[in-house]
Amino acid sequence: MTVAGKPLSAQADPVQTAKPATPNRGRLALRDLANGMSQHWLWRAMAMQDIVLRYRGSVLGPLWLTFSTAVMIAAMGFVYSKIFHLDPERYVPFLTLGLLIWQFISSVITDGCSAFMSVQHAIQQVRLPYTVHVLRSVFRNLLIMGHNAVLIPIVFLMMGHGIGWQALMAIPGLLILCINGVWISILLGMLSARFRDVPPIVAALLQVVFFVTPVFWTVETLGEYRHVGDFNPLFAAIDVVRAPLLGEPFAPYSWPIVGIMTVGGLLVTAVFFSRFRSRIAYWV
Amino acid sequence: MASLRLQDLTVEFPVYQANGRSLKKALFSVPMGTNLARDAANRILVRALNHLTLTIDKGDRVGLIGPNGSGKTTLLKTMAGIYEPTSGSLHTQGRVSALLDVQMGMNPDATGRENIMLRGMYMGIHPKDMQVHVEEVAEFTELGPYIDMPVRTYSAGMMLRLAFAASTCVEPEILLMDEWLAAGDSHFLAKAQKRMEDFVQRSSLMVLASHSPELLERWCNKGLYLRNGNLIAYGPLAEVAAVYQQSLAEA
Repeated sequence: MTVAGKPLSAQADPVQTAKPATPNRGRLALRDLANGMSQHWLWRAMAMQDIVLRYRGSVLGPLWLTFSTAVMIAAMGFVYSKIFHLDPERYVPFLTLGLLIWQFISSVITDGCSAFMSVQHAIQQVRLPYTVHVLRSVFRNLLIMGHNAVLIPIVFLMMGHGIGWQALMAIPGLLILCINGVWISILLGMLSARFRDVPPIVAALLQVVFFVTPVFWTVETLGEYRHVGDFNPLFAAIDVVRAPLLGEPFAPYSWPIVGIMTVGGLLVTAVFFSRFRSRIAYWV
Repeated sequence: MASLRLQDLTVEFPVYQANGRSLKKALFSVPMGTNLARDAANRILVRALNHLTLTIDKGDRVGLIGPNGSGKTTLLKTMAGIYEPTSGSLHTQGRVSALLDVQMGMNPDATGRENIMLRGMYMGIHPKDMQVHVEEVAEFTELGPYIDMPVRTYSAGMMLRLAFAASTCVEPEILLMDEWLAAGDSHFLAKAQKRMEDFVQRSSLMVLASHSPELLERWCNKGLYLRNGNLIAYGPLAEVAAVYQQSLAEA
């Protein structure tokens, strides 16, 4: 059949045979991922729409997020540079980046919990790769972080903090965070759909973790217990993006920890996703 | 050339949230409890579709009939690829468009026009390609200026017009519809039926679940009678409807 414009990517293969998923679950899961990635316009447009609709009718729109982050940075920057006796010119840029990256990570995790449940309507009505919903959730948070990122040059300028070529090293860091966001969202999305206790547990944990992770305090202040911070995977995740933007060296274990987390997480998720993918429609 | 082939297809799913024991107790008083079992983990298993084998070819307009809880919606969802078969196989040839729920992909705060684009996205149509259909869809709905109003201000019938027009703007080859046409007025139903007949004449097929004998008679040429997930009868509509009426009378 012919359709105006492009072939319909969702049904690129018009002949489909669905058989019981047992023998080639792994292949079906991989195909889900590949189809999800190839339909990038779909989840990009959906994520954009999410943001547009969330702020319809408000004057500042998505810039409210930026505004509230700015207030938080100003208030925390003032108070904590006094508490920690730190030079604001060094502390405020550090805090800004820490908060921005933390907000991204924690909202990817909380949205990941509802990645499937929040779209149960779509899952129950139309055949789409499950990874589309996950990529939409991660991309939406990336867009939100993009809005907040306008604060970085402002803060850097105000504090007279320079930025060097080294900052480009933050790009691979951000990329690896997104990859981790995808597996975390698939895993938590499935677990949350199956066990409705997961989202509140995750939310409660995140709140605790924020305070014990070197987000707004430096890992050096731990003194001889510094390894408690260094081995915190969330610190490692923040560090791979924050350190290059600040022009500082990575903490010694950041990349190895993030690397292990990525590979391990992808493997565990691959097993779960292959095994239970076809169940998601019943769970949500 | 659209076709749907079901070969010995079974769909079972575990019920999670329900308390096993109390559900079991409840079932003694409910007359549709023959398709429940327990799996190895002692969960309640619902066998929603039981070894169905049938073929639907182009030009077929199948009316799905059966009492509540007989597996009609599950069958539609399985045909749409939402539920994967537990055993047996489903062979689909052609682009599936499923109209199972009017609200699907609709955002109540977005306007009618935006929702047309949104529905298109869910059907896998790029917004750029969908753009050319928007005017035609808007015209078909006859919603006039309401097309630029948020969908939450719509009545059920208006929502139905929008959903139907948007979902069928790109000619579907396999159109699956659940019982929801009822909200349309007779003018719209006649218009929708005309559109449907055009599609079906041009090598597509339709499956429609409904409890309304008049609607089925007007829209369908074949009947499929499901009861407790079992295929009771499949063939010309008049014959299947007769079997159904008879079993209702006996019960």
